[in-house]
Amino acid sequence: MAGVELAPTTIQVLQVLTVVIFAPALSGVIARLEARLQGRRGPRVLQPYYDLAKLFRKETLVPQDAGWVFAAGPVVAFMCYLVVPLLIPVLTTFPLPLGYMGDILGGAFILGLAGFAVALAAAETGSPYAQLGSSRAMTFGALIEPSLLFIVFTVALVTATDLPYFQAAATRASLSSTIRPAHLLAALAFFLLVLNDTGRIPVETHASTLEFGMIDEARAFEHSGPLLALLKWGSSMKQLILYVLLINVFAAPWGLAGSRAVGSVLLAIPVLLAKAFGVGAIFTVIDNSFSKLRLFKITEFMAAAFLLAILAVLVLYLGGG
Amino acid sequence: MAVAPPVPTSFSGGVEAIVLVMLLTEFAMLRAPLARSQIRLYAFQSLGFSGLAVSVAATQHLDDLYVLAALSFVLKVVVVPSIVLRLLRDARVDLAGSNRLGVASMVLLAIAISVFGFFVVGSLPVHARSLPTATLGLAAAMILVAFLLVILRSDVVSQAVGFFSLENGVSVASLALAARLPLIVEVAFLFDLLVAVVVFGVLMRLHHGRSQTLSTDALDRLRG
Repeated sequence: MAGVELAPTTIQVLQVLTVVIFAPALSGVIARLEARLQGRRGPRVLQPYYDLAKLFRKETLVPQDAGWVFAAGPVVAFMCYLVVPLLIPVLTTFPLPLGYMGDILGGAFILGLAGFAVALAAAETGSPYAQLGSSRAMTFGALIEPSLLFIVFTVALVTATDLPYFQAAATRASLSSTIRPAHLLAALAFFLLVLNDTGRIPVETHASTLEFGMIDEARAFEHSGPLLALLKWGSSMKQLILYVLLINVFAAPWGLAGSRAVGSVLLAIPVLLAKAFGVGAIFTVIDNSFSKLRLFKITEFMAAAFLLAILAVLVLYLGGG
Repeated sequence: MAVAPPVPTSFSGGVEAIVLVMLLTEFAMLRAPLARSQIRLYAFQSLGFSGLAVSVAATQHLDDLYVLAALSFVLKVVVVPSIVLRLLRDARVDLAGSNRLGVASMVLLAIAISVFGFFVVGSLPVHARSLPTATLGLAAAMILVAFLLVILRSDVVSQAVGFFSLENGVSVASLALAARLPLIVEVAFLFDLLVAVVVFGVLMRLHHGRSQTLSTDALDRLRG
């Protein structure tokens, strides 16, 4: 087909737009599915969009002693989430112009910066629950970091680079490279990492209203109006970004556009969404079949993720697995 | 620029995956709170060993190993776990007793000691002949974690399970180093295991009969 080809920059913008536009839909589908599994009818799939629209029309209330950090936090975080889709394979198998701007670690740093900005904004409010949430998020974030580092080491040993595009290509290369033990271990460790970072059971009950069990959710307590909308939108974008990394780098990097033709790039969007909904379904089933760990037992979960990641590196380093 | 190592073939990848699952089972035994689940995990690990023996037998055309796989399946997956489970049912003890450390610290310690085992085996001038290189390191890690299980969990069941799974680790190492070991030697290992089962069975019965617990912390109550 001699169809029209899109400019690389256009595709790159399309990657960002895909994440921005469809992230609330993913949250909506997951919420709906979760409700169905629990025997409820559940909200509309489009409900997150209505929520965002409502919040953007509301006024912003700022706590008495909060400074500019309170307002800047959500905006900085949102901008960080806009940057990450430039670096990772959202729609294409081939790297786009800005794809080499940062590696997996760079992407993780930007996600970490977003988390830091939100935590800072929450700490600025002076509200005990928001501060408790931000301190917990930082603590557990530091505990999960070693696993992330060892996953990056695994990618580096497998591909001799640490670019997500190359890892995706290595996963796609052959069946034996998909089922090699190091890859399976790293993928599993990354799965646990996503479970932690999206605030899912067994780490956190994301739909809970009980403040004492909250980690990420508690941070947005004092924000309202457009700022809260940015936080909510940002956290659903973060969820989609992590799913994209899990799907398009480790688990199933198939169905991406191999050329710049309009048709194949546009087709990659529904394929990606279908895969993301599938992963969301898996997470929902996990959410409904396990119980939340007690706060002081979360370290066991982190230890399990670390075990898998470090075994991946060891198997590669000493056996070429 | 560094060059990526070659991708392993699907046979060596699969074999490594089996041994890895056996090692992960060892870690799971270390943290399993129930005595029953420890024993089920041991049975699962032994199943992994039987599978490993069959795959080596099939690829290297060693018919002896089929016999070993069948024997170890009958003994380690069926007989030994069912005997220990029956003993446990008589003792009516569910929780496997207290740990000497928290779970996360235990796992971290086990990771450290496995890394040690990996590097020690990696620096030795021995190479696995019939299995991929990493299996030898994994077997060493399995043996060391089994030691940790015996040391850190203070109850008779964990010590028995630790000892049994130690034998699994040794068997994997022997498969990796010398798959052509005469069958009689391998079978002698299995009979050692049977003796161990009898000894641990007697220990469990006697200890539970005297102190109504399986915790080894109560052992000093037996002083005369």
